[in-house]
Amino acid sequence: MTEEKNQPLLDVRELTVAFGHLAVVKGISFAVQPGEIIGIVGESGSGKSITCRALMGLLPGTANASGSVKLNGRQLLGLDEASWRSIRAPEMAMIFQNPASHLDPLKRIGQQIAEPMIRHQGIGRSEGQDRAVRLLEAVGIRDPELRARSYPHEFSGGMKQRAMIAAAIGCGPKLLIADEPTTALDVTVQARILTLLTKLNRERGLAIVLISHDLGVVADVCSRVVVMRHGEIVEQGKTDQIVNKPQHPYTKLLIDSQPGRRPAGAGSAGSAPARSPLLTIENLSVSFPGKRDLASGLRLKSAREFLALDGVNMQIAEGETVGIVGESGSGKSTLARAIIRQNGASGGAIRFDGQNVQALRGETLTRFCRSIQMVFQNPYDSLNPRMTVSEAIAEPIWRHGLADRRTAQRQADELLELVELPGILRDRKPRQLSGGQCQRVGLARALALKPQVLIADEITSALDVTTQAQILDLLTRLQRERALTLLYISHDLRVVSSFCQRVYVFKAGRIVESGPARQVLTKPRDPYTQELVESIGSLVPSPTLAL
Amino acid sequence: MRHVKILFETLRSVRLTGPMLAAAAILGGWFLVALTANFIAPHDPDAIDIVHMLGAPSAEHWFGTDQVGRDVFSRVLHASRVDLLLCVVGVLPPLLIGTTLGLLSGYFGGVVDVIFMRIYDLTAAFPFFVLVLAIVGVLGPGLSNFIIALALVGWVTYARLVRAEVLVVKESEYIQAAQCLGFSQPAILLHHVLPNVMGSIIAYGVSDAVLVMLAGASFGFIGMGAQPPLAEWGVMIADGQSFVLQAWWICFFPGLAAISLGLGFAFLGDGLGQLQRAQAS
Amino acid sequence: MTLLPLISRRLLQLPGVLAGICVVTFMLLHLAPGDPARLLAGDRASAETIAAIRHQNGLDQPLWQQFITYVANLLAGDIGQSLRFQRPVSALIHQFMWPTLFLTGYVVLLAVPPTIMLAIASARRPGGVADQIIRVLGIAGLTIPVFWLAIMMSRFFGAGLGWFPVSGYGQGFFGHLHHLFLPALSTSIWLVPVLTQSLRAALIEKTTADFVTTARAQGAGEGEIFWRTILPNAVLPTLNLLGVMVAFLIGGTIIVETVYAVPGLGALMIGSLLGRDYYVVQGLTLTFALATVIITLVVDLLTAFIDPRVRL
Repeated sequence: MTEEKNQPLLDVRELTVAFGHLAVVKGISFAVQPGEIIGIVGESGSGKSITCRALMGLLPGTANASGSVKLNGRQLLGLDEASWRSIRAPEMAMIFQNPASHLDPLKRIGQQIAEPMIRHQGIGRSEGQDRAVRLLEAVGIRDPELRARSYPHEFSGGMKQRAMIAAAIGCGPKLLIADEPTTALDVTVQARILTLLTKLNRERGLAIVLISHDLGVVADVCSRVVVMRHGEIVEQGKTDQIVNKPQHPYTKLLIDSQPGRRPAGAGSAGSAPARSPLLTIENLSVSFPGKRDLASGLRLKSAREFLALDGVNMQIAEGETVGIVGESGSGKSTLARAIIRQNGASGGAIRFDGQNVQALRGETLTRFCRSIQMVFQNPYDSLNPRMTVSEAIAEPIWRHGLADRRTAQRQADELLELVELPGILRDRKPRQLSGGQCQRVGLARALALKPQVLIADEITSALDVTTQAQILDLLTRLQRERALTLLYISHDLRVVSSFCQRVYVFKAGRIVESGPARQVLTKPRDPYTQELVESIGSLVPSPTLAL
Repeated sequence: MRHVKILFETLRSVRLTGPMLAAAAILGGWFLVALTANFIAPHDPDAIDIVHMLGAPSAEHWFGTDQVGRDVFSRVLHASRVDLLLCVVGVLPPLLIGTTLGLLSGYFGGVVDVIFMRIYDLTAAFPFFVLVLAIVGVLGPGLSNFIIALALVGWVTYARLVRAEVLVVKESEYIQAAQCLGFSQPAILLHHVLPNVMGSIIAYGVSDAVLVMLAGASFGFIGMGAQPPLAEWGVMIADGQSFVLQAWWICFFPGLAAISLGLGFAFLGDGLGQLQRAQAS
Repeated sequence: MTLLPLISRRLLQLPGVLAGICVVTFMLLHLAPGDPARLLAGDRASAETIAAIRHQNGLDQPLWQQFITYVANLLAGDIGQSLRFQRPVSALIHQFMWPTLFLTGYVVLLAVPPTIMLAIASARRPGGVADQIIRVLGIAGLTIPVFWLAIMMSRFFGAGLGWFPVSGYGQGFFGHLHHLFLPALSTSIWLVPVLTQSLRAALIEKTTADFVTTARAQGAGEGEIFWRTILPNAVLPTLNLLGVMVAFLIGGTIIVETVYAVPGLGALMIGSLLGRDYYVVQGLTLTFALATVIITLVVDLLTAFIDPRVRL
């Protein structure tokens, strides 16, 4: 064995995973060196998650894996369950996309971290508990002793993922497989988790396979990247090489679809000329009743109210594209719902064309409804599952008495064309469509009433990057052709700043910063915006920008 | 009209699995029997024949005869009318009342919802059977009073089921979209909320028919439901109980009939429920 | 420990429900169509008898006053007088209560072990042969009229084979066990399918849960995963159902008690209904409701004990 020195930690050769006759992973080969972080990038359906399940021997019984997977020279495929069990945790460990559902809700965090160690290292309960506390500390959880006694539901999303990491590294594995570990988390939390992973990599020599749909995340953290599509590896190599000199057209498409990389659309149209504002938000506050608590009810105190929006001021001119950025709970969706009158305001006012929106009644209210429309986040949830595409698009037209039913159907066909959907989809139900197609239907439905203002609430966050790029292109075109005023809401500063002229940054119900998109992105003044900008993965792996 | 179309589409999309086919055959069969009982029953169900009382099953009397010589087979066939009707009349009123109130209380919330939830809490505090029994006891024994008591108590379950489903559907983005598009509240309720909760109500209603039939037979059995000499399976079993040592067939066959009709509804409800879950995921 | 807030919250909800129960049981007799005095006296009673009964029971007072009297009596532990037995209803209930409680406990004991075994056998391979059979048998079990099954079993196992007594309650603990075996068995045959379906569905759902994958990825064996992760999570919904069912059972034993002539609350209820002894019916309804409330409370506390999420 002359190669022993260079022997890779993990060596995957011609791995194929098939469900019956359907191969979802088709003969892929790659290797992981000790202490290396390697990224696997791909969109949904690329087979990246199935690949990492295959590496851990966690495929469902109906799947059939062939080829070769060697860990430290030991063939893993075909091992019996007992041998697998002795490898999982001590040799290689895994963390998952959704930490909330991957922790047992009935067990304390400390116990869940201690269990693999008790199982594999034969230590006692109290020893396990002590080590769990130290691990919690190592992954950056404050008050580890106290927190070890907490249950998962008492942890935030980021803390749960840290706990998952603590449980994974407890037995000192050499390899960590991280399946979309930051996808469900807020951007700033995502950055902190990635920092933690790189720190563990550096300090413990932990090799990591990082699976992600986000090339930006992978490019920041990994030394090498594997790009997958349709179960095949289209390209792999050093991060720098992949990002700057992509060979395969798909890799190029993937990089071009990155929001920050896209040729600036509406965003570059320069600063908006001074026009009278179409939509004005004056000192708007929205509050929700706090959680009903009997103790406070007994003390005759009114339940504490939760301020979702706290004195927000905005002005949006006709034809402008305005972006709203914020993490979950920042109040950005509450604002959208307040504008379309689904949340009542507890203070302040929303004015449309000078009229107070809250006070609208009767005919003027109907007119207002037609002039402001909204597209929603979840592709499948935003369409009534019982209605066909053309029924859904035509419904607003005839319900508003703009045309009879048959004419409405014809207009629906035209709208389908407008959002670049083939006519054969008109009689499909939502669940027969792809996510991107659903969002196009949602757009067409919103445009059916010929609105002046379109609110887009996270409409691309559930979509793949390449689909997102297409939807954004479509939105740019529609905005231009129909002279729409666009309010674009997203958690992703990159998308917003590439797409919008002006940006408002929301945090905890307040606007912390606003201004032209380019300025906010390049010269953020508020500390929170700065953190947000720093959390953006750049596609150029440079140590100054990354983390 | 849309609802009929949706219902039709749902029926068309039903994959005819074994149990579903069996259910269709059983229910169709009993329905035919109930319609044609007058013609296909070999004997008059009420004809008393003391000479042939407590006769064992034979070529002449397939299911034997009872304590006054009536033909058990003919009585079982005739009783299917009562029990089948019981299933429909026992299920529909609570289903309709419950669905309407559940829709309103779930969608609009507010005072109606609070009142409804209190009523639910209260009803849940009584065992279903006891409450129905007590109400029938006060109103007086009989089938119609049983139906009334069932409606008084049973709607709450439906309302709670519908309310829970509406609360989920209400949060979905397509309802928000419909509100944003300025549709009227009745339009949203009838065309967007109702179609999406209808499936599970129907599935539950069909399964509930089994329980209603069993409850009806039980009430007949203890003398609080259908009254003799009306042929009803529960009543027939009660009649035969005293003679079960000499003539097991008086009790046995009505029970078998009840089980088979129950199986029809149960398999249908199970199939519809599975379909519902398959569509949801 | 941390259960305290939950207990106090539930105890605070109790008075409202109890008040509701009082109102319903009161209305049962008073808002029924017709004259409650006539109801109590029966159809053939003379006008004088009716008047006497009306006065004797305070039915000539205004409704609100009667309600106050009713509640005051309840608080003093007096739930009325049986017309048929000429004894306080509370004494009657106390006398008839034990067979019913024994029977209910018996049924639960008979039903729980097969439920767990069948559900596990079924969930081990969803869609497999065992699962299909158990599912179909479960559906079939639900459609059997309990009273019919009871009669058939007493005919074949009791009278036919002579293994078990077909009526009564027996003497002593083992006598009770022997006498109540057939009643408990026939009720269990109805209860087991309901519980099995619930537990099976929960088991299958939890088998594919994400945290099970985690446990597997941490090298846990399948046995350990099943007993320590899947089962505790899957038991919760079934525990709730069991609570509902036991409440249901206390009422449901009515029929079985009638068939097997067990001197329990159910037999008392039917006898009182047929004998128009309405104060007993009212008192029994009240008792059943109280029992249901207590069982629900116990189940909620048990759930909270297992599941930290509901302890908030």
